[in-house]
Amino acid sequence: MSRFLSREALLAWLDGLREGGTVVVAPTLVEGVSLYRQVPVASEIDLDASVTVVSPKEWLFPASHTIFTVERKDGRVDLRENTFDGRAVLFGLHPCDALGVHLMDVPFLAEPADGSYRERRERTALVGLSCIRCRPECFCTSVDTSPDDPTHLDVMLTLVEGGYVVAAASDKGEALLASAKPEEKALSLPEPPAPEKLPTEDLPRLFRALYDDGYWGRLADRCIHCNICSYVCPTCYCFDMRDYPRGNTAERVQSWESCQAPGFTRLAGGHDTRGSKAAKMRQRFAHKFLYFPETFDSQLSCSGCGRCVRACPVNIDIREIISDLKKIGVSSVGSGEK
Amino acid sequence: MVDEIRSKAKELLTDGTVECVIGYERATDGVTARPLFAYTAEEIDRFIMDNTCVHNLARYLLDRKGKPTAVVVKPCDSRTINLLVQENQIERDKVFAIGVTCPGVVEAHWGEASDEAQPRCVTCSLEVPAVYDYLVTMPGERQTRTGFPDLERMETMSPEERREFWERQFERCIRCHACRQVCPGCYCPICFVDQLDPTWVGIRNAPPENQVWHLIRAFHLAGRCIECGECQRVCPVGIPLMLLNQKLAAEVEGMFDFRPGLDAETLPPFAVFKKEELEAER
Repeated sequence: MSRFLSREALLAWLDGLREGGTVVVAPTLVEGVSLYRQVPVASEIDLDASVTVVSPKEWLFPASHTIFTVERKDGRVDLRENTFDGRAVLFGLHPCDALGVHLMDVPFLAEPADGSYRERRERTALVGLSCIRCRPECFCTSVDTSPDDPTHLDVMLTLVEGGYVVAAASDKGEALLASAKPEEKALSLPEPPAPEKLPTEDLPRLFRALYDDGYWGRLADRCIHCNICSYVCPTCYCFDMRDYPRGNTAERVQSWESCQAPGFTRLAGGHDTRGSKAAKMRQRFAHKFLYFPETFDSQLSCSGCGRCVRACPVNIDIREIISDLKKIGVSSVGSGEK
Repeated sequence: MVDEIRSKAKELLTDGTVECVIGYERATDGVTARPLFAYTAEEIDRFIMDNTCVHNLARYLLDRKGKPTAVVVKPCDSRTINLLVQENQIERDKVFAIGVTCPGVVEAHWGEASDEAQPRCVTCSLEVPAVYDYLVTMPGERQTRTGFPDLERMETMSPEERREFWERQFERCIRCHACRQVCPGCYCPICFVDQLDPTWVGIRNAPPENQVWHLIRAFHLAGRCIECGECQRVCPVGIPLMLLNQKLAAEVEGMFDFRPGLDAETLPPFAVFKKEELEAER
C-alpha cells in the first residue's frame, strides 16, 4: 500500500503548513520564467515545473543576504545579526536538486559552519518530486543520484494518475507529513526515465593529468565569462562580502560571485592570479571535478541537473567536457585500468 | 553558401592573412549554433551558416586584439567592427570580415530553433553588412520588418506604468552581468559595478542596485549600441533589455541623426561638439 495525496490534498497540506507560519518556497512562473519563490498561496506553485532556470539554492544561499547590521547610536555601536527563526518547506526539488543541496551542505556545514546557511538549512524541510521525464541535458545518474532517488530529501512525491504517491524519507519528513492526511491506496510507481550516462569514473585523476592541457584554452576561446553557469548552478557556492554604509548604519552583505567574473581573483595592485581565459575556464570545472572531491574526500561537485548546459549562451557543455577529458585522457595518459 | 565561407576561410589561413577564423558550428543539441574558433582547415570543415547562427562573433575581436583574425559577420554584427575601430579598440587591418547578407535569424535557445524571428531582426534595416572584406549571400526569405512594436507599446504607458513594468523586470535579475559580458560595447577594464573604491553600486542583488545597474549600462550604450540584441538573447531570466537600448537609440537618432557602426568615419555625437547644438538648446 502507498500513501496517496490528490493534487487538491497536496495543495491543501501545503496551505495548511503555510497558514501555520511555515514559509513555502517552490517553483513558480515569474513573467514566464521558472524560478523558486516564496509562494503566497499553494495554487501559485508550478507543479509541472521541470528544472527551474535558477536552482533552489536561492533559498538556502540567497543571491544577496545581509549577515548583520551595525548602528552607531548615542556613543555606542549595536550589532544585529540577521536571523531566520521561522520554518520553511523547499518544495518540488527533483533528485538532482536534492543532491545539489547536499553538495552545498558539505562545505557550508563543515566546521566551522557558515552560521546563516546552517540556520536556514536546519529550519528547512526538503520536499522532492521524482522525475517522470528527463531532459536531453540531464545526467543525474552519472553523478550519484537518479530520477527517483529520495536520498537527501525529507519527503518524496511521485506523480501518478490524479495525484501523488507520498513517502517520508527522514524523521523530519515523517513529522511534516503528520498534517497531510494521505489516503492508503494500492498504486504502482511509474518506471523512472533513464538519462544519458557519462564516463565520470576516475574524473579527478584524469583532470589532474590534463591540468595543463591546451584543451582549456581552446574551450575558453568562445567563453564570454558571463557567470550564468555559476549563478544557475545548484552547487556553485562562491560569494563576496561587502559592507554597505549608510549614515550611522552599515550592512555586511554576502552576494553570489563567480570564478568567471572579471575581478574574482584580482589582487590589490591589480595582478590577476587567474588572468587568462583558459585559467578561468579550467577553474570552474577543476573545482567540481578535482578540488572538491580532493578537499572533502567526497563525490564530484555536480548534481547533473544540466542547467548550465541549457543556459550557456555559447554552448560550453559540461557533458561534452566530461567526455572530452575521457577521450583525451585515454589517448595521452592511459586508460587508468589496471 | 557555407562552402564559400569555408573556402575563403581556408585560403585566409593558408596564405597567412589570419591565424584564426571565427565562425559557427553546430552546438551539442544538434539544433542551434555555437561559435567556433578555427585554426586549421579540418576545423573549418565544421563551419555552418544558417538562421540559427545568432551570436555576434565580432565581440570576440576584443579578446584577440592585435592578432590577425577573420570573423563571420551578419549585418548587425558588422557594425561592431566599425564601432570598435572608431573607439580605437581594434585595428581594422588586423581584421578580415567575411560578411554574410542576412534575411534575419530566429529565436534559437538550447534544444530548439523556432520559426519566430529574433526581436532584433524585426526592427533591423540592414540586409548587407555595413563593413566586409568578402561577401557571401545567405539564402532565405527576408523576414518582415515590423518597426518597433514593443517600443511603441512602452511609449503609450504612463510613467507609473512604465516604472512598475521595469521594476517587475529588474526584480528577477540575478546580476550575472551576462548582458555586459556579451556586449561588444561593454569593454571597460573595470566596470562601475566592479569598482570597490569607491563602490558606486556593488554586486548586491537588490531592487535599487539592479535598477541602477541596468539604467547606467543603458546610458553608457546610448549612441553606441549597435543593436545586435545579444544582451536580450543571453539573459537567463528573459529581461527585455533591447527595449531600453532601442529607446535610447531612437532618442540619439532623433536628436543627432546618428546610428553607430554604420561606418567608421562619422564622428559619434558624444565625441563632437557643434555650435548649432547650443543654438538648438536655446
